[in-house]
Amino acid sequence: MKRNILIAVLVVAVAGAFIGYRMYNEKTPTASEKAADLTVEATTLFAAFTTDEVAAGKLYNDKVLQVNGVVREVSATGNGPVNVMLETGDAMGAVVCEFAADKSPAWQKGQNVAVKGFCAGYNLDVLLQRCAAVE
Amino acid sequence: MNRILSLGVLLLPAFAFAQERYATRTGEVTFFSETPVENIDAVNHKATSVIDLTTGQVQVSMLMKAFEFEKALMQEHFNENYVESNTYPKGEFKGKFTGFTAENAKKPGKYEVVLEGDLTMHGVTRKRTLNATIEVDANGALKASCDFTLKPTDHGIKIPGGVNVAEDIKVKARMDFQKM
Repeated sequence: MKRNILIAVLVVAVAGAFIGYRMYNEKTPTASEKAADLTVEATTLFAAFTTDEVAAGKLYNDKVLQVNGVVREVSATGNGPVNVMLETGDAMGAVVCEFAADKSPAWQKGQNVAVKGFCAGYNLDVLLQRCAAVE
Repeated sequence: MNRILSLGVLLLPAFAFAQERYATRTGEVTFFSETPVENIDAVNHKATSVIDLTTGQVQVSMLMKAFEFEKALMQEHFNENYVESNTYPKGEFKGKFTGFTAENAKKPGKYEVVLEGDLTMHGVTRKRTLNATIEVDANGALKASCDFTLKPTDHGIKIPGGVNVAEDIKVKARMDFQKM
């Protein structure tokens, strides 16, 4: 009886350690693995942050957003991510979507696109990170 | 109006256009915590900055949520438990620099620069003096770099005992400025 209890405790401990180890080492997810929490137009998203940054942050930050818009520019920065900038109707800022260099879509300026990404907030641009193209 | 010009208008609106201003929206800021148990690093590719070579003013701003970690749990702890990025969404540096002028920007070379100003993180502002370099390449582009250490406790960030985070965090900033 004692032996069985000891074995059960050991099994639970090993399983717990394994689950904890897996959780601790879980990679930061990309949007391709997630369903969108909200869908919004790029112009609406940018206007929300420039009108009331705090309120927009509460609504959108950390969420996976599907953002629909028109490509203003695509640019890469050295070893960093590829940035797809979506039109906002305001020359002062864009919705900037960061893609891993090997996962960036071949989009052109003026193209209508849909992007999923994690919203990080507003610092002159609205930033979406770990993005994926929505086909 | 291009993106770099609009950045300067937004960040340093009080100054005349004739001044020598350079800006970036894609500054890279990394931090590194080293302990015997574990090393932790994170990178932010979207720091914004404007420098004015006439007045010697510098301004840097970044979203704390834009720091990306390899492990999801570390990113969650960083934002929720330490920097509290929902309450304090941005880190900023505002100040002045010496050691680099509009004349230097015309001559390729590497220049030692001293920054003095206010570093704000987690809602706490500290006066800091930082050493940096600005490299002018043959095309007149400016590449700035600044390495320094930051104590989380100086900014009211409490790291519980037993957590594998260093007392001194190594910060590296790399900015490729474009003329406005």
